[in-house]
Amino acid sequence: MISFINRHISANKTIGMLLLVAALCLNVSCKKSLDVDSTRLAKEDGHWTSLQDTRSGLMATYGLMRAALADNNAHWLWGEFRQGDFAATNRSDLKAIVNGDLNASFPLLQDITSWRAFYAVINNASLLIERAPEVLAVDKRYTEVNYKVDVAQARALRAFAYFYMVRIWGDVPLITSSHDDGSFQAKARTDQAKVLVYAESELVAAAKDLPYVYGAEGNDLLPGLYYGYDADRWRGALFTKISAYAVLAHIAAWQSHYIDAAVYTDFIMKNYAKANIAYSTITELTSSDGIFNGASNNQIICFGFNDLYGESTTNGHIEQLVLAAPLITKQTPDLYVPKDTIASAFTDPNDQRFGLDTISGLSRTNYFVNYSGETPVFSKIKVLRGGSTNGNFAVYSSNIIFTRLEELALLRAESLAVLGQRQDAISLLNVIRKSRGVATFSDGPDKDLIKEIFDERRRELMGEAWRWYDQVRYNKIKGNNTAFNDLINRKGIYWPIATDVLNANNQLTQNSYWK
Amino acid sequence: MRMKMNRISTAVIYMALLLPFGVARGYAVTYKAAAFNYHTCFWQDTTDTAKKKADTLISVKIRRALVKGLKDSLNMEISKLSPNLSLQQMLKGNIPGLYVQETTGEPGTEQSMIIRGLSSPLFSKNDIYNQQPAVYLNGIPLIQESSFVYDIQKYNFNRIGPATNLLAGIDASNINSIEVIKDPLELAKLGPNAANGAIWITTKVAKSGVRQLNVNSYFGFVQASRVNTTNAEYENLFRKPFYQKYATESDYLNYPGYLRDSTNTDYYGPARWNDLYYQNTPIHSIDLGLTGGSDRANFRFFGSATTNAGNADNTALNRYTASFQINMLPFSWLTISSMVNANRMDRDRNRNLRDRFAETRYIPDLYNPLPPSATTYQALLNEYDKNIDNNRTTVVNGYLSLGVDLKKVKILSNLSFDYNQGTRDVFYPSTLMEGNNYVSNYLGYNQRFKIDNSINYTKELGKDHKFVFAAGQSYQTDVHKYNYANAYNGPNDFIKINVVQGNTDSANYLKPVAYLVYRYIDKEQARLFSVYGSARYAYKDLLSFTALVRDDASSNAQPGSRWFISPAFSGQWNLKNQFLKNSNLFDDLSFNASWSRIGKPFTDDRFAAGPQYRVEIGWDAEPTIPGYNGVAAVSRPYTSGWVGYNLKWTYTDQLNLGLNTSLLQGRLNASATFYIKDDKRMLLNIPVPQEYGYTSSYASGMAVRNTGVELGLAGTILKSSAGLSWTSGINLNFNRNKLTALPNGLDQLVIGDMKLKVGQPIDQFFIYQNQGIYNADSEVPVNPANSKRLSFEGTPLKAGDPKWKDVNGDYVIDENDKVLKGNAMPKLTGGWSNDFHYGNFDLNFNIIFAVGQKALNQSAASQYDFINRESGNDINSIKEIFSWQQNPKAIQYPIYNPWSSVVPYRLDQDLFLENASYAKLRTVSVGYDLTRAGFIKKMKSSIKRAYIYVTANNLVTVTSFTGSDPELIDYNGIYNGYGMAIPRTYILGIKLDL
Repeated sequence: MISFINRHISANKTIGMLLLVAALCLNVSCKKSLDVDSTRLAKEDGHWTSLQDTRSGLMATYGLMRAALADNNAHWLWGEFRQGDFAATNRSDLKAIVNGDLNASFPLLQDITSWRAFYAVINNASLLIERAPEVLAVDKRYTEVNYKVDVAQARALRAFAYFYMVRIWGDVPLITSSHDDGSFQAKARTDQAKVLVYAESELVAAAKDLPYVYGAEGNDLLPGLYYGYDADRWRGALFTKISAYAVLAHIAAWQSHYIDAAVYTDFIMKNYAKANIAYSTITELTSSDGIFNGASNNQIICFGFNDLYGESTTNGHIEQLVLAAPLITKQTPDLYVPKDTIASAFTDPNDQRFGLDTISGLSRTNYFVNYSGETPVFSKIKVLRGGSTNGNFAVYSSNIIFTRLEELALLRAESLAVLGQRQDAISLLNVIRKSRGVATFSDGPDKDLIKEIFDERRRELMGEAWRWYDQVRYNKIKGNNTAFNDLINRKGIYWPIATDVLNANNQLTQNSYWK
Repeated sequence: MRMKMNRISTAVIYMALLLPFGVARGYAVTYKAAAFNYHTCFWQDTTDTAKKKADTLISVKIRRALVKGLKDSLNMEISKLSPNLSLQQMLKGNIPGLYVQETTGEPGTEQSMIIRGLSSPLFSKNDIYNQQPAVYLNGIPLIQESSFVYDIQKYNFNRIGPATNLLAGIDASNINSIEVIKDPLELAKLGPNAANGAIWITTKVAKSGVRQLNVNSYFGFVQASRVNTTNAEYENLFRKPFYQKYATESDYLNYPGYLRDSTNTDYYGPARWNDLYYQNTPIHSIDLGLTGGSDRANFRFFGSATTNAGNADNTALNRYTASFQINMLPFSWLTISSMVNANRMDRDRNRNLRDRFAETRYIPDLYNPLPPSATTYQALLNEYDKNIDNNRTTVVNGYLSLGVDLKKVKILSNLSFDYNQGTRDVFYPSTLMEGNNYVSNYLGYNQRFKIDNSINYTKELGKDHKFVFAAGQSYQTDVHKYNYANAYNGPNDFIKINVVQGNTDSANYLKPVAYLVYRYIDKEQARLFSVYGSARYAYKDLLSFTALVRDDASSNAQPGSRWFISPAFSGQWNLKNQFLKNSNLFDDLSFNASWSRIGKPFTDDRFAAGPQYRVEIGWDAEPTIPGYNGVAAVSRPYTSGWVGYNLKWTYTDQLNLGLNTSLLQGRLNASATFYIKDDKRMLLNIPVPQEYGYTSSYASGMAVRNTGVELGLAGTILKSSAGLSWTSGINLNFNRNKLTALPNGLDQLVIGDMKLKVGQPIDQFFIYQNQGIYNADSEVPVNPANSKRLSFEGTPLKAGDPKWKDVNGDYVIDENDKVLKGNAMPKLTGGWSNDFHYGNFDLNFNIIFAVGQKALNQSAASQYDFINRESGNDINSIKEIFSWQQNPKAIQYPIYNPWSSVVPYRLDQDLFLENASYAKLRTVSVGYDLTRAGFIKKMKSSIKRAYIYVTANNLVTVTSFTGSDPELIDYNGIYNGYGMAIPRTYILGIKLDL
């Protein structure tokens, strides 16, 4: 039997003592060791000391704006699907939105009726405006020009966020500084006219400092690289002078200030070439790697999901709701344009966007595929990852394009038509119609130019989240749709406010229409 | 990484230094090398079990009973007869005041423990992590997972990585005792780690003597569940009444494709998936312990291999453990003891679609669900054979301690470390996900080093007065880190790894060439420095008082309030010696009172910084979007919540009043404990006006009070040396919690689906009260003031909508009409165990119960809400294979209009609230002691003990809950039907001591 007993074990006393001392020495207690800087965040002190801080802060403002529009695909739920051309197949929550039944009790509706995400843009922009001077003071690399352009962008984005909110909720609290001290005072809603006056004045001021192009050599406002990147990198990503004027024009039009709208759009039409902006061809508009994919100067206001930088996502794209087989494996789209709606909107058989070829009897597939099936699939925007066409992997890179030159041309046409300058309006309208293969419009005594312009908008901008706002403006101009004008008068064109928002601020009340 | 290696090598060198002692020669002394157990460390009254041979289990048990009552240590002898894998399973139902609920029977998954009630409301899984008690293994404070991985997760069903329960790595055969420490003063000695309570595991120890070999083994199986399967016909019939009553023409047009075609045998054919899903699966285990050595140096080795399995979906856990201990006594005044444990766990996980899509963050089209036919399910399983899903957790921990005993002065110095590493490699072939494949790799580790030093000084003044002074200091450093990469859409299903460009000249060197890759990396560090001093005064054997004060500093506290001073007091009065000295009835009767305040450091490192900037430009569905236009974007934490200054240490105040008694020569032991536990100054992420962009702001000041009574009663009812003896023990715990304060003096708050109201419990459901159905529009009440019909948040109610109670009578059903109802946590928990002994036979059975909790049956709600569930095409729309079964206990709910925009089958109503109380016959075990059997004696072998036994587990559940098992309810009281059955297991085992 094995025995492990060994009764002759001991040790040298000195070794023992040494060990004991060694053990105690390891027990280093040091106050400094408790200062552990988290690698997961940036602390307040030390921030706003270098141009990395202003750059990341500015990018966050854009990123937060993108989040506000993309979360739950809200950009389209607000602008495109509410009482628009699309019908829902199955989803009850989408049906509620399509029917304008906006206080239906679905989680989606609670989510998209919260305005918090816009205020994150506003707060972040205000913070940048307030803190960027600190960087200017300490970082030599941060130039005065760079600083001015940063602040101008922040102001423009903040104004844009206010405009976007006013379109959805009407009166919103106007908060113009960051109050960055952890005190969250409840503020009441401000009259929307005041909010828009503020937005307009901010944009006018910002437009002075905004360049036409970022990162271009020889640019008078902002020469050379911008934050180390050239013009190619910044194409379509940032607010330019044209972007600011585009928002100004829309603010004016939304308030029916068509004279102002005409002035602002006039500036755009005269200067867009300086920003290298051009009209988009039907191919650029509808191919999977056209203007909805990647960077382009034609994207006048655009929030990108560039796949080059790993920003492709599933959520935040109209495709998630409207795309289906044969382009991706999903069987039926959540939302689709019914055939009779298509037929009534696209009246010209030569329309490149959608038309029936009179000889072959086949439909053009630029806007819709599966037209012969039960539910046509809206395929104008179909940017699978990085502009690919592989439908196995339904991750999208399509940009949220708020506006492009066609949209602004039609807005100018609308303004001019309202102001009675029919010929100028018609020629702008025909620019668009020609490029889409539609017969040009010629004036006549019983021709409804306004209607023609809005019909063209409906076709051209389908799926770009304009339809709802266009209907509001159209009915404001026309005033002959009783139901809709009742909606306008009773402020039913605005959305209800989410319970979370109301609960957190006792100064707020629900929009009267939705009480 | 280098840092970590340095530390480990330091520890190894440190231990290697000790080797000379093992070979040096010297004299024999009669002093015994002591086990490093809880008492050597913290029990200042060193006359306690410390110097006893802790291995002699029986004597220890009785002593523990005398000292502290039966209430807080686990009967390991009985526990070892069950194939319990995790610490939580061992403790479940056996310790008053400790509540364990297994939310799934899948082996090796994460489980939680709650001691003495919830200390804060459970909004998310993170809140459960923050309430876990500290677990000490021979004094090593084991590090647990951090919840920070959830920051990058879109869905939080499982954490990324192996998600293996780290406390499943300790083999029961190597455990000598498990004590659950709830006494406030004892916890205060352990410090902030133990603010939520502590569990002290003492392994079997090295001891001197002739070498001993113990071999234990069992084998058995888990039994497949029997279910009634269904096919599409059943679903079709289920939907019929809804369609007949409410459907429009277009609803009929949208009738789901898979239900439309009754000739489709996949859906309408035989539903035999269950033969492939539920299976009897073998389980087995073998372990070996070897102990030996001299009085001056002895050792213990332990090794084990265990296979545990679930009864469904091929789930299993394979575990290998090894443990080595050496104790040395180089001088009569110096004890050195050391231990190293290592274990490895490989987990075979379930194949739920939900868990897979949550991992891939990609939801394919769910229009056609998985059919119930065995052939198609087999085809799916064949595709699974091509996948990789390796989950490995490796744990190494150990300690080295030096004890100096100079009679009156005792010094103890202890270095301990715990390192665990989880890796998970996943590959899903393209056939499993719409033609695109998926790879992910995870490597994460948690690491803790701790150094403790303490000194004790005993002073006796005459015979009657005794003082013990103690002081100590400790330093602990924790690191949590992970690297995670997931990749999509590789070139084919043969390349199962993420290939990178290998050409060093290429501009894309080391960049992925085929897959679309996303990478995540995160690291969190925390340090804790503590000092404490205590004094104990004992008067004769009648009274003793202890006072302790400690000062702790945490790196996670804000710099201005880094240190937290907290006191603790305790007194004990021996009533037996005072009043009943000569009583033969009472062996012991003592009263003790104890109070302490313990700081709770923040578990997240964000609070130390105060106002801060983070990368938070994503949104709920896309939390990880990295930047804008490829440029990093940093902002205020708008979505996770504002962090300001003045966030001070959270702390817990605990009061304990206990009465323990032992009667009739130890035949009856009883204890009663009353406690109040106040968790104060807790952080709450409270909603703020949304007009500053923040969802919420962290505010300090939430307080929750738990009060309860714990009763323990154990008695030997029959006692005879040869005949029948019967011992029985019951433990009962009554607990209730109450919110005592909210931050900023608020009285109530609604956060998400929960409402917190001061004075009310924190685990209540916030729900509408359902009172039936409106059969006609005319039944809906009309507001006489404006002749508007009763509406739900503005949408008028119609025929087919539920009758929800308009509590405030304003003719609008909204959040103001929700009420707080039912508790998710049980009011009474406990267990009852019985031991019969006759001759060489033993029989024991164990019943556990939990009473008074309710659950919301989400599984039923989503079955009825099929319109919204199916059309959503989101993570909740998934129909798993196991959903093709009939629930015989299902409740018939009213037939509401499922298309209604008021969502009639919403979960937040009392329609789905059910009683989830249960009692379970958890263990029945029969054993026979062979030691005295003839053939063993004849063998004249060295067998000291031979014992064979048969155990059956989880035999019977008594409950009125209509889901499969009331334990399989999620942490927040929601039953979603995903928990895998806790299987019946049957084992035959043998224990041999050689």
